[in-house]
Amino acid sequence: MIYDIAHRTTYKYDAPVASARCAMRLLPRNDRGQTVLSSKIELSPSAEVISDRIDFHGNRVCEARILEPHTRLRIALAARVAVERMPPPAPALTPAWEIVRNAAYASDSLAASSPAHYIYASRHAPLFDAATDYARESFAPGRPILEGAMELTNRIHADFAYDPDATHIATPIVQVFESRRGVCQDFAHIMIAALRGLGLAASYVSGYLRTYAAPGQARLEGADSTHAWVSVWCGPEFGFFDLDPTNAMAVGNDHIAIAIGRDYADVSPIDGVILGAGNQDLDVSVDVTEAAI
Amino acid sequence: MFAERDIESDEAAQRVAAWIADYAPSHDAPDELLDGDGRPRERWRQFLHSLAALGDAGLEQRFAAAARRIDDMGISYRVHGEAKERSWPLGRLPLLIPEAEWRDIAAGVAQRAELLDQILHDIYGDARLIAEGVLPAAAVAGSQNFIRPMCGVAPPGGRWLRFYAADLGRGPDGNWRVLGDRAQAPSGAGYALENRLVLSRALPSLYRDMNVERLAPFFRDFRASISRVAQRVDPRICLLTPGPWSETYSEQAHLARYLGLALVEGEDLVASDGKLHVRTIAGLKRADVIWRRVDADWCDPLEQNASSRLGVAGMFDAIRKGAVVVANMPGAGVIESRALMSLTPELSQRVLGESLKLSTIETIWCGREKERRQVIDALSEFAVVSAFADRLPGFGERREALGGALTDAERARLIDAMHQRGVDYVAQEPTRLSTTPAWIEGRLSPRPFVLRVFAAATPEGWTVMPGGFCRISNQPGARAVSMDAGAQSSDVWVLSNSPIKWSTLLPSDEDPPIVRALGNLPSRAADNLFWMGRYLERAEATLRVVRTLAARLGQPQHIDPQGRQSIERLARLLIAWGAAPEELADIDPTQIALAATVDADAYGSALSVLRSAKRAASIVRERLSYDVWQLVGRIETRLTRAGAGAITEPETLEIIERSLHTLAALSGLIDENFNRVAGWSFIDLGRRIERAIGTCRFARQFAGDEATVETLDALLDLLDSQITYRSRYIAGAALAPVLDIAMLDPFNPRSVAFQAMRIDEHLAALPSLRHDGVMEPPRRVSVKLRAELESEDARRLDASIILAIEQRLMSLADKIAERYFAHGADGAANSQPSRIA
Repeated sequence: MIYDIAHRTTYKYDAPVASARCAMRLLPRNDRGQTVLSSKIELSPSAEVISDRIDFHGNRVCEARILEPHTRLRIALAARVAVERMPPPAPALTPAWEIVRNAAYASDSLAASSPAHYIYASRHAPLFDAATDYARESFAPGRPILEGAMELTNRIHADFAYDPDATHIATPIVQVFESRRGVCQDFAHIMIAALRGLGLAASYVSGYLRTYAAPGQARLEGADSTHAWVSVWCGPEFGFFDLDPTNAMAVGNDHIAIAIGRDYADVSPIDGVILGAGNQDLDVSVDVTEAAI
Repeated sequence: MFAERDIESDEAAQRVAAWIADYAPSHDAPDELLDGDGRPRERWRQFLHSLAALGDAGLEQRFAAAARRIDDMGISYRVHGEAKERSWPLGRLPLLIPEAEWRDIAAGVAQRAELLDQILHDIYGDARLIAEGVLPAAAVAGSQNFIRPMCGVAPPGGRWLRFYAADLGRGPDGNWRVLGDRAQAPSGAGYALENRLVLSRALPSLYRDMNVERLAPFFRDFRASISRVAQRVDPRICLLTPGPWSETYSEQAHLARYLGLALVEGEDLVASDGKLHVRTIAGLKRADVIWRRVDADWCDPLEQNASSRLGVAGMFDAIRKGAVVVANMPGAGVIESRALMSLTPELSQRVLGESLKLSTIETIWCGREKERRQVIDALSEFAVVSAFADRLPGFGERREALGGALTDAERARLIDAMHQRGVDYVAQEPTRLSTTPAWIEGRLSPRPFVLRVFAAATPEGWTVMPGGFCRISNQPGARAVSMDAGAQSSDVWVLSNSPIKWSTLLPSDEDPPIVRALGNLPSRAADNLFWMGRYLERAEATLRVVRTLAARLGQPQHIDPQGRQSIERLARLLIAWGAAPEELADIDPTQIALAATVDADAYGSALSVLRSAKRAASIVRERLSYDVWQLVGRIETRLTRAGAGAITEPETLEIIERSLHTLAALSGLIDENFNRVAGWSFIDLGRRIERAIGTCRFARQFAGDEATVETLDALLDLLDSQITYRSRYIAGAALAPVLDIAMLDPFNPRSVAFQAMRIDEHLAALPSLRHDGVMEPPRRVSVKLRAELESEDARRLDASIILAIEQRLMSLADKIAERYFAHGADGAANSQPSRIA
């Protein structure tokens, strides 16, 4: 499957901003069943690119500096990505979760692919008893890891209500867990915290999900949005496998991954510092369409 | 003579005997004063005897002098979360360590520093120790201080670790051993230096007679070696501080001053072209070396904690490009974890091919199956603590769980948690800290302590500071000490067998280069000095208005309408300035005068403005002499105290007079003692601008279109210009002559023209960013304003012209701020630096 992605972010400032410096994690990943055919970031006003590098987790980071005063900053990504993922292994064939946990503890690698990075609490995914206990219900002793993880994915979908008004970016997940309402980012963080509480390795994936128009209706322009899901480590043989708790599904060819990290903080699409005072207003629009080839 | 000495000596011996008889250390842990058989050690016998010979009165006098000196030097610290800094709790007795014992400690600490540096090279480099299984990845990845963006980076200057500290205590066998490693940004070396300055002066003869090793050479070597690894000769070295709210800011300011480093906050720095620069009043200046006291997570908001305002965006990029040496490298803190410490004995064998010279407290990481079982099977013999954090996971605020003291339920919960997430736990032997004598209420008392020893990397290897930072707990039987309320610190004396050579920071073997200017003033410091000057002047102006008002309230013309007019105007002025609350407008002017002096809730009262001055001063404290700092504090104390109790009218007047005198003393002190290149011009600029604006306001109020003899008289009072006026004019106050004195007279140090002249002179002397000789914006305004005031005619002046002058002064202040103080994200108007130096 080949997708065309248009991801536009616009900042509007009340007062002119003299200059800005930002780090962008917008360019999709070129691994794990994805091939980036083309990709480009455009900034307006125009910017000086400081560096274009790959971060620790293998994400592409572009750093830029805008030196002219502006009241509006527009960052537009255009990319074409081919997605062809391997089908998931039969869950029953994956190892018992305790074996996977002990293998993560004993990992002899510090590379980004090592599960050791993803078993500890992180900025947005603190470990707490309620989440660990919640996860434990799906992980009876000896249960194959992927079976347990898929059940957990489905339970989160069933137990939590999707409600964009219930949370914002800084809502602690302990609170989300109590209220049982939130968005994809919250569900991903909760699933990560729950798995890590048992000692299992789980990472956060940011990306897009292709959407389909309701029958008989045209697709709405810009109606798509960025998405987030979870990658679970299933032992050295199987490696990481992606699950989407928001939609209770295994990640297949409808998902396009941008970046991977311990949680949102590692993959935040745009981090920046500006020289200016006053409020800012943020507008994001995303279009994911099947490429017409 | 000899007989007298003998009697004294006998008395001293008796006193020592009494102290020791009263001293009862626990048998669980070794003690510094008494050996295993309860006999005093020789070094302590000698020390206590000399101490006792001072006599009770002598002792008290020495200790009181030490306490005064701590206050004078402004040594303080902050307990986390507290607004007010506490005075430094220096214990009166040093920790004594004989040379032979010290040699082993120093060798052990140097070996450990080298080992940890090599481990860091491996962790952030090839990770061979991890691939070989000597160092499990999970023992690294669990640390908050494993800074992933630093993986694969070659540390500029070749070392991850340059300044290391080990926390030591004696084990049950009496041998020193390592309780913890500090590599993030070890604190305490500056306090050690301050402790030494205080105690060596309080007890000079003991200090001399006991051959105490000097600390200065260690600092000199450290400074020399960090400057040698920089890219440029004669590099700019900055101490990066989290700011005045940091617990140990006082220490950081002291270290910066002692070592001649630029004390900078994140806002002072900017990254451009892959390098770091300090924003100064002369543009961007290259920062070659950063000695950081900001934790790595906060160093670069673009690559670590996005919410950090303590760091600088682009620091990691500059490190990657090799353009800045950072001590210690971000990420060095990963070796502080107990998980990693537990593995150091094995790692030493593998990396150095030798055993550790200083053993570590027995520590077992529970992330590995075999060790975990071993710990769980013998849980009652261990203390379980967190492998990576301060608090024990799953146990709320608790730091540790003593296996032998757990309830059955707690024990089951802990074992379950260790099975689940063993990586989070380590087990340690549950020993108490060893003790040293502390002087508590006139007696010797055994107290648990931790000794922090510092090591610095030099091209010749690690050098260890002969002394250290000793923390003493106020709780007998403690197992850890932090500098929270109640703890003390003490000086650490390493006793040499031979006499000590004198040494300070001055290099004795080479001629010091002559230096007159200490680099360019950072923009933020200039900003705060400017505002300190403005606030001090504003406080003075407020007090003058209050004084003028109070003087009129006490006079008979109080009642006549003419006199009433100036009283009303003065009161209105105070309310307009926010010096007194609006509600008082129609009430007794006496109340207004009082409020304007001491009302802490009114933002414009003398007290509030003075507090603002103090706040600005606190940010540039390392640039101010203790006298300046003390005087500012004294006025604040006086006004605060006056505000606390009900005071009478004459008392108010007296407080105002005395405060004005202190402010005058402060002005004099600043003028006479403040180095002209160290920012004095910015304090003075602030004062001049504020005074000029204030004088314009007075002139508009009291010499405007409805001016009377009474109001003109008040104006002369406000400007302290009565004598000048009377010496020139025989008749009473008349409009044009008064306006001339207030606004235009170039010989009156309170006139606006006089201020404009001084402002222009300052601006002319400041560095320019331009190479084409064209004037910068602030100077354009000042030259024109000065010329206009010099050529103006007093008879032409009216309220609207004075208002126009006032507005131009305000715009001049803005232009000065834009040009010299810009310190947002990227350097404002001048985003292109004129010269990278």
